[in-house]
Amino acid sequence: MASPIHHVIIGSGSAGFGAAKTLRAADQNCRVTMITMDSLPFYQRYALPQIFRGRQDWRELLEVPPAKYDELDIKLRRRTRVVEVDGSNQIISLAHQETVAYDRLLVCTGGRSYLPENLTSQVDLIHSFGSYEAAMQVFKDLPKGGSVIMIGGDMIGIDLALTLLDSGYKVTLIANQQTFWPHDLTAKQQKPLLKALEAKGMIVFSDSRPIGVSDKCTNSATRCVTLEDTTEVLGDVVLSFCGLSPAVEFMLGADVDIERGILVNPELRTSNETIWAAGDVCQIWHDTEKTYKFYHGWKNVRMMGELAARNMLGGHDIFDVNVEDQIGVEPDGQLKSTFWTH
Amino acid sequence: MMNRTGTDIQIAICGSAGDGTIASGDILKRAAALMGFNVIAFDVYPPEIRGFGKCISRVRISSQQSYSLKQNSDVLISLNDTHAIPHVGEVRDFGAVIYDDNLIANVPEGGHISGHIHPAQIPYGFSIRQISEQATNSARSRNIVILGYLAELFDLPREHFRKIIRDKFATKPRAVTDDNIKAFNAGLLAGSGVFKLDDVVVQKVDAKGNGADAEMMTGNGAVARGFMEAGIQCYFGYPITPATSIMERLAVEMPPAGGKFLQTEDEISAIAAAIGAGYAGTRAATATSGPGLALMAEMLGLGVMAEVPVVVVVSQRGGPSTGLPTKTEQSDLNLAVFGGSGDAQRIVLAPTNVEGCYRCAGRAFEIAETYQTPVIVLIDLYLSNRYETVIPSAHKQFAAKPRVPLAPNGDGAFKRFELTENNISPRAIPGEEGLMHTVTGLEHNELGRPNDAIHMDMNTKRHEKLKPAVNFPGLTVSKRFGDEGKVKVGILGWGSTFGEILETMYEAQAEGISCAAMKVVMLSPLPVESIAAFFADCDEILVPEVNYEGQFANIVCGALGKPVSRLNQTNGAPMAVADILAEVRRLSGKKPKTGQSDTFTEAAL
Ligand SMILES: Cc1cc2nc3c(=O)[nH]c(=O)nc-3n(C[C@H](O)[C@H](O)[C@H](O)COP(=O)(O)OP(=O)(O)OC[C@H]3O[C@@H](n4cnc5c(N)ncnc54)[C@H](O)[C@@H]3O)c2cc1C
Repeated sequence: MASPIHHVIIGSGSAGFGAAKTLRAADQNCRVTMITMDSLPFYQRYALPQIFRGRQDWRELLEVPPAKYDELDIKLRRRTRVVEVDGSNQIISLAHQETVAYDRLLVCTGGRSYLPENLTSQVDLIHSFGSYEAAMQVFKDLPKGGSVIMIGGDMIGIDLALTLLDSGYKVTLIANQQTFWPHDLTAKQQKPLLKALEAKGMIVFSDSRPIGVSDKCTNSATRCVTLEDTTEVLGDVVLSFCGLSPAVEFMLGADVDIERGILVNPELRTSNETIWAAGDVCQIWHDTEKTYKFYHGWKNVRMMGELAARNMLGGHDIFDVNVEDQIGVEPDGQLKSTFWTH
Repeated sequence: MMNRTGTDIQIAICGSAGDGTIASGDILKRAAALMGFNVIAFDVYPPEIRGFGKCISRVRISSQQSYSLKQNSDVLISLNDTHAIPHVGEVRDFGAVIYDDNLIANVPEGGHISGHIHPAQIPYGFSIRQISEQATNSARSRNIVILGYLAELFDLPREHFRKIIRDKFATKPRAVTDDNIKAFNAGLLAGSGVFKLDDVVVQKVDAKGNGADAEMMTGNGAVARGFMEAGIQCYFGYPITPATSIMERLAVEMPPAGGKFLQTEDEISAIAAAIGAGYAGTRAATATSGPGLALMAEMLGLGVMAEVPVVVVVSQRGGPSTGLPTKTEQSDLNLAVFGGSGDAQRIVLAPTNVEGCYRCAGRAFEIAETYQTPVIVLIDLYLSNRYETVIPSAHKQFAAKPRVPLAPNGDGAFKRFELTENNISPRAIPGEEGLMHTVTGLEHNELGRPNDAIHMDMNTKRHEKLKPAVNFPGLTVSKRFGDEGKVKVGILGWGSTFGEILETMYEAQAEGISCAAMKVVMLSPLPVESIAAFFADCDEILVPEVNYEGQFANIVCGALGKPVSRLNQTNGAPMAVADILAEVRRLSGKKPKTGQSDTFTEAAL
């Protein structure tokens, strides 16, 4: 008997999880392995701000209980980093020196929070919020009613900032070009939106770039951010939300085309016959605009994962979602974004 | 019902022989005992000496009394993935698996433990080997690095570990201790900042913690300790797994205390010498395992016939013949109780835990002297090698009482085997003036002279004199636990299995099954009255034993004439609580409960 086809998915976010479920539903016999650096089974990252609303037990954030993976016969390999993909021999190398062979590979590694270059040397003083553990660390380090300094303020960050304000914390936003990312807005377009945020109690600095973060502060604050105009912004925790950069470095030897993300056709197949990509990590060819585009937001990403899975099983479905890049202020003062879908 | 609050965690460390697995488990259990926790630990070694084979050290740490290892571990630490992978299933949901995620050699798909961790278990990978090498220039301290990591992750008092590490390596060159402290500290550092996702919690021990008084002992260590406290004077032995460590310990401790220790050429000479020394009036003992007891059977008959006090410890292993030398079993009960020629009843004590080993061994001399007969202390590999915290008694409770000298009776007229009211005859020690008498393995009259005609009377005397032993002061001969009065299921047990029986009973009670348990420590003579009272209270009686034939069940059924349900397993491992519980549920008419699968028994092999 021929051995069952081995589908390997790198990444266990929205895209990867959607793909795994779809693969299993469509093919009871194939092997499905999901490899992830996460320690936890799949949980919705957009739910992380809920930690500040009392949902600190990670089990409450899971989309499905752990036992479901066994039930679906999906092999979930956590805390496992892929360091290399050999696209010609169809072999994945893991950081702990194990190799895994695949028949078809789906890359769903998402993106990493981007940090402005001039702040990279102070990375240890800046909290991240990309995982449950990171979010919990923020929760632990932030005193009740304490203040957060947010650099940038992409849509992920804005969501968190509004939750924090709502939960009795203070938020100071140091706006930059990435504020409201993935919406691509000019400073002028940002203005009314920032005003709406101020109306909600946020302190906003929009005219000066941060040049340094320090833990040697003048008063009881544990962090201070110095702006180009010498203003010192004080707070308890500094977070950077300046958009995401796709996690692709391990794919460099994989024989696939990469620009910023992994380039895929509308069927989400890469330039390598056996490799597909979905989610925040990929740029999809847009036939009308004649360019490769990113599509963020968990709903798009989930759809991509499911579509890639169908195509890995022989389908030819096309990703033709037309996401309008729209953001505005509602009459009641609420921000409304096409990205923002819970 | 027992209130299972507070800390109750089990940590399993798994590696290959030579990885330091057992040493690491040893430090962990001693540190936990020092913190004031109750500790039960059991190590599984490979039959080979070094270089191959799986070693596992399981340590249960609890703030309340526990009675056996737990079915599922809360934490598994891998020092060797090939050996640890089959044990991943032993870890409970939301428990932790700790492993090296920075290997130096390539492994094929499936060769790394991370690929086997279930979605509900929490993986903690870190560079164990690299950290050891950086801290000590050697990978040998991996077993200590993991302890540092563990201490940090579960917030265990660091100083207790450091103290035990210092104690453990105290006899080695200073650099060895220094390196191990460095390795421990490096493990701490590696664990700091790790976000704890599992739900394994170690609470601080409250004021009742007995850390200062408690001592970690194995069953064999406790036997040796009991012997020493009883003032053992002569030990003769021949090494055999799993009893050997008793003689190793006594070889070190007896000579400085004025005792005589001799390793004989075989088991026959060991028991012969011990009987000789007992006859000469000393506290004398030997220890062996099933195959050794088989060789000793004939001489034991002499001990019974000549009415000589002697103590024989028997640690059972899988049999018959060479059998399963490194696996546990309870199948030498028949041999211990009945072995030998003729009607040769002797006293057999089977402690159920390490503390019991200490008490039975300590008390055995006094019992042997009182009834002038051999006493067998019957344990097994599981008990011999199992560690528990024991609080030894402060006063010398096992010491020999001064002998009341007998009045000279004229050499040749002294009735050494006199038929008395309580069937116990006056005992003279060879060399005592005016008390010369004959001693023989032939049936004999009151003077000790060969005589067939008196055989019935003498048989009666030798059996009847033992009957009051079931009320011997200072020894728990049998004890009932659990629900009082009438119950649905009663579990009757002996020896090391009783820990699992008690845990089962508490679990059954938690499920609403009315349940009681009785341990029987004196297996010969049998405390029939208390067992009969227990039977009368129980609708169903279950007798779990790690032997094939149901040897204890057979004895009990024979004595009481009542049927029992049996549960017998011989897979080399202690009996699993889940298996006993399944039987209890069945007998109580309760539906089986589905839950986390039990892989412990299988994996423990
Ligand atoms: C805090 C937060 C809030 C958000 N809020 C919203 C919102 O309100 N609405 C909305 O629509 N979207 C929101 N998003 C964005 C949305 O969640 C993302 O678009 C989506 O998570 C992307 O999914 P993905 O599967 O492509 O990648 P991700 O979810 O980022 O998952 C990437 C996976 O790849 C794994 N990985 C990466 N590199 C490797 C490697 N080398 N080896 C092995 N595994 C690797 C990671 O461990 C992870 O499992 C939010 C995101 C965050 C972080």
